[in-house]
Amino acid sequence: MATQPSDSTEFPPEIILKPLALIGLSGLDTINNAVHKAIWDAFSNNRRADRASVRFKLLNNTFEFPVVKPKRNSYEWYIPKGILKKNWIHKRVNLIPAVVVIFYDMEWNDPQWNEKIIECASRVQSIRAAVEGHATRVAVVVVQSGLSPPPSEYMLGAERAQALCAACEIQSKSLFVLPHSDHLMGYIIRLENAFYDIAQNYYHHETKNIKQHRDHLNKTTHQYLFVRHQYKLGYLNELKQDLSTAHKHYMHAYSNLLETRTVDTNMHEIRTVAGYINYKLCKLLFALNLPRDAIAQLKSHIERYKSRVGPTELLFEHYAWIARQYSAFGELFDEAIRAGLPGIQSQHPGFYYQQAAQFTTMRRQAMRSVCCDAMQYPPPPDPLEGTVEFYGQRPWRPGRLSADPHYPQKEQAAILALQYSERMFNHSGMIVSFLGSAISQFKTFHSPRMRKQLVVEMANEYYYCNDFGKALTLLSHMLWDYRREKWWFLASHVLNRALQCAYLAAKIQDYIQLSVEALSKHIQVPNNDKERIFRNIMSVLNLTIPAPEPELPASSQSKALELWQLAVEKEPFVIAIDMVNISSFLEVKSKFKQQIYRMDEVVEVEVYVRLSYVTSLEVKKLFLTISSKTETIEIPISDNGNTLISLVGGKVKKFICQFKTNPNDSGTDLYIKNVSIVLDSDRKRKIVMNFKVEDTKIVETAVHPELLHFILSPKADYEFDCIVPCTTTSITARECRLSLDVSNACPALQGEWFPTSFTVVNNEESQVNDMLITVSLVSTLDNQNPDSVTDLSWKPGQSQGQPLKISAGTVNKNSTYSNKFYLKSNRTTNITVEIKIVYIIDLPEMPKLECVKEFTTKVIVIKPFEVTTQFVGMNFKPISKCFVNDDFVVMPQIKILSPWDLLIVDTELDVAACFDYGDSKPSSCVSNLEVAEKNVASDAVCVRAKYKPKDPPTRVGLYNITWRRSNFQGHSVRSTTALSGIPVDDCPISLQVNYPEIIELQTSVPLKCTLFGNTNTPIRLCLTLEGTDAYMFSGYKRLMVTVPPHDKVDLCYNIQPLVTGNTTPPRLKATVLGEAANQEVVKEMFDKKFPQNIFVMPKYNK
Amino acid sequence: MAVCVAVIGKDNSPLYIGGVGNDTNTDNELSRQWLVHTALDALEERLATTNTNTANSASNASRTDLRDLYLGLLYSTDTHKIYGYVTNTRIKLVLVTSSTSPSGSNIRDAEVRTALRRLHALYADAICNPFHLPGEQITSSKFDRQVKNLLLNNV
Repeated sequence: MATQPSDSTEFPPEIILKPLALIGLSGLDTINNAVHKAIWDAFSNNRRADRASVRFKLLNNTFEFPVVKPKRNSYEWYIPKGILKKNWIHKRVNLIPAVVVIFYDMEWNDPQWNEKIIECASRVQSIRAAVEGHATRVAVVVVQSGLSPPPSEYMLGAERAQALCAACEIQSKSLFVLPHSDHLMGYIIRLENAFYDIAQNYYHHETKNIKQHRDHLNKTTHQYLFVRHQYKLGYLNELKQDLSTAHKHYMHAYSNLLETRTVDTNMHEIRTVAGYINYKLCKLLFALNLPRDAIAQLKSHIERYKSRVGPTELLFEHYAWIARQYSAFGELFDEAIRAGLPGIQSQHPGFYYQQAAQFTTMRRQAMRSVCCDAMQYPPPPDPLEGTVEFYGQRPWRPGRLSADPHYPQKEQAAILALQYSERMFNHSGMIVSFLGSAISQFKTFHSPRMRKQLVVEMANEYYYCNDFGKALTLLSHMLWDYRREKWWFLASHVLNRALQCAYLAAKIQDYIQLSVEALSKHIQVPNNDKERIFRNIMSVLNLTIPAPEPELPASSQSKALELWQLAVEKEPFVIAIDMVNISSFLEVKSKFKQQIYRMDEVVEVEVYVRLSYVTSLEVKKLFLTISSKTETIEIPISDNGNTLISLVGGKVKKFICQFKTNPNDSGTDLYIKNVSIVLDSDRKRKIVMNFKVEDTKIVETAVHPELLHFILSPKADYEFDCIVPCTTTSITARECRLSLDVSNACPALQGEWFPTSFTVVNNEESQVNDMLITVSLVSTLDNQNPDSVTDLSWKPGQSQGQPLKISAGTVNKNSTYSNKFYLKSNRTTNITVEIKIVYIIDLPEMPKLECVKEFTTKVIVIKPFEVTTQFVGMNFKPISKCFVNDDFVVMPQIKILSPWDLLIVDTELDVAACFDYGDSKPSSCVSNLEVAEKNVASDAVCVRAKYKPKDPPTRVGLYNITWRRSNFQGHSVRSTTALSGIPVDDCPISLQVNYPEIIELQTSVPLKCTLFGNTNTPIRLCLTLEGTDAYMFSGYKRLMVTVPPHDKVDLCYNIQPLVTGNTTPPRLKATVLGEAANQEVVKEMFDKKFPQNIFVMPKYNK
Repeated sequence: MAVCVAVIGKDNSPLYIGGVGNDTNTDNELSRQWLVHTALDALEERLATTNTNTANSASNASRTDLRDLYLGLLYSTDTHKIYGYVTNTRIKLVLVTSSTSPSGSNIRDAEVRTALRRLHALYADAICNPFHLPGEQITSSKFDRQVKNLLLNNV
């Protein structure tokens, strides 16, 4: 709970505490007995919210219960002396337990059972005697070791328990057994709930008792008792944790109280009690989750008692009471929110704290009006001494009900005493505390502006209690926000109060800053006396004391003067003001004249200063802070050579500031960081007004200057408003006068070292020194990583690290420097090469100036040639597959694409693993061949498959071509191309056919056919010779052949042509007997091997 | 009856604050400005919640069109009731009535709505003046007269 400021209206702790059923524990020796200690700790420690709402109290032997008042049989002659007795709650929650629990160590099978039972019974008896008259319940807990008794004694326990109940005269349900071995906590919680039940029962009984009294009461004399009884019922129900019934009774108590006649003498008592009951009501409503009802209850409560002011001399008590009602409600509300109630922006505790603060302010006003005469405390006897029995009664007339003051003098003294104490009371402290609570609530519930207003009120309070430093701190923070939202009226209000604080606290820094802002056109000052403020600034500069602010409390002024005496000639002598964040009477705009400056140019900055307050101002110094990557410099600005600058009110003054750039700043940006205006009166004190330029801040002009001057009577100077600040400029290198000539034979061919020569010509006015040439590749859109595929070098055939660098040293005026670099690309692409020349030149105005020139050149890379492959059989017929151990010919075709003539130096084919050369490694057919664009060079290599690979081979092999440009001797390039693959197949037999290519007519020639078995099993074939009309033949027309494994069979035929020309000779056809799987392959093999065509020559007769 | 009206710009800076009667008393003006200024809290909260609602719905544009410009009672204190109205360009109109005077406490919602709509129209007329600078305070004496008239006659 937030700590609330205390005063006489504070609620007593017993009202605030949550009522818990009181349970007395007796017979526990927590000091000497470890088991008892453990039991007590389990009851009393770590009481979490989920445990029963009870409070345990350890009763020792000397504990005395309050004496019971004799029962009244009739209320006829009884006149109550007050409403609520102060000690009643205390008795209920501390002294009279609902249940007394007697703990006793005893085992059922105790050998001295009879003695034990007697002792226990006597203890119970003594407790009974002690609580005599109260209805307090008694229960017995037998503490046992918890070891399970032997089965034979199960019955014994029940019997003896019964015997114990009888001996102690308790009901069996009031007897408990507590085994202390294991699970103590579990047993304790169950016991606790049982006690809680008994306690509830007890409180229920008590309420019944009280209800019985009601019939004896009458409204005329016992109105107080109606309130008291209902209040007691409410409280007992609260102890019983029956919240809604409690609320009902409290409500009755409240309405009964309302019916009570109020006069000045009992006013204080009635509203005090009403406050307590209302507090209980609201608390219960929050606990019952009825926050709206709680709020409504408070509202009607305040409404009802607002007009019951009481005696005028003690008016402040009334306001103090209302303030307390609000603050206590705020606390309840806050607690409820912390317990999970949602608060909203329009309904949260902050409002109630705020009300509390407001009524405390009214309390102070009332005090001022009624307590002016209470100059000192009345002489003894102290009228406020003495104790009262009832809440809200006056110590000087306890228990008196009559309306007229009994002892007028005593009454007078008492009022004086109260008034005097009120005068001494720190109202501001209390208001500040309430406001503090309210501020934090408003912050939580998204009300920043409400919070600001309260902070300003808080600052005012600090001001009233002469804590100017704190007030000033708060106000300067708030000023910032009002200024930002342009609520100038409010800002002015805050600023004027802050200025008063700064004056009274003699804080020179704040005083000057606030004064400077007060001169702004937006700020209104009291009596519109800006001249005084301006004079004050000048006084501080001259080390004299400024004139006081108007409307200061007279009491503080002399103190302020003392402070100023001390401060005026002391540190800080330099007062720096950050002008960007405040609104003031000076405005500054600065701009670079150009967006870009070259190194050899002079940078010019224009600074415009506008003085909006009508006066003339002597500025001692004006300087500009420029920052670059390397340094930050301050450049003084003069007014045409005159360092003393005078500004005229309402006018804009323009200054030009020139400077040379630092040679290190080439290629970077310059920023205007700050413009400072220094006011100085040669008396040590200086005011430095800094107009800082934020890097990130975008200069926002809400109103366009064009619009601003569209209206009839322009509000400000057109020129000044139109200036768009430009606070950044770039410094670039000086213009370079070198030229570069690049020559090369483009396009370059893929894979070659391509030479490029360049020539640098010095066109500068003088020689250049330390020339460094850097050649590098530039990443472009179509070639993102040029250095990964392209090599650069000064020498062909040898790659060097990139970028290439070479130092050319000194180059004289009008002379040249040439060099050549090579590049090699493994990809066809566009390559951009950058040649960067850095050199140092000595210019008359700028020695050792570094200049940079960059050139780029583009190189296109193309393919020199394209290689395609053809596969042909040994008869040069195209084939689509080959057989194992069957020769065929690979024919790479080189198609020249290069526009330049090429020389093919050599070629070779590296066959893949599953292939072999048909002969020994053959020499190239196209070596030393000069070719031009669009020529095709064909090579041929005989190859055979060694075995059938698992997957069809993707390539036959790598084809290496060594070539170079034919027009220059030198390095030749070796390009490698993969030749496409051809499927390899297995055939169980291979076949060789020998036949002549050309035959003479009618000449018998042999046709020999050899069959080889390639498998481990013999293969049976049925062979048929298919004859043709062009031939006669001799041999088996049809026969069965068995080809043995890894062996051969020869078949010989004689054929004789009958016609001339191209003829088809007889062909053998084979059918595999048995296995059909190989049929196709064998058939293909025979088709391929047997000649399609034999040329027959006519026979010439000799 | 209405105690004062205010026109507040979209950056929350005051454009016009006018009250009934010609009291130029500083304290009066101050409390009036505090009232209007703190009403911005409630206004902003309202706007923030309606914004999230409209952002959730798919038909954002149509929702904004349908949005009622009149926000109703923003909050009430013991002495005053404060009503809000937000134009589509985020110009906020605030009307403060006194809840202590009988005519002020019995004021009907519809009456306030009408008054704020008329104030909106007056504001629109005022800024249509080509010599008015958008974003600047409204200094037009005609507007001032019309607003005071509105306060006295209608609310």
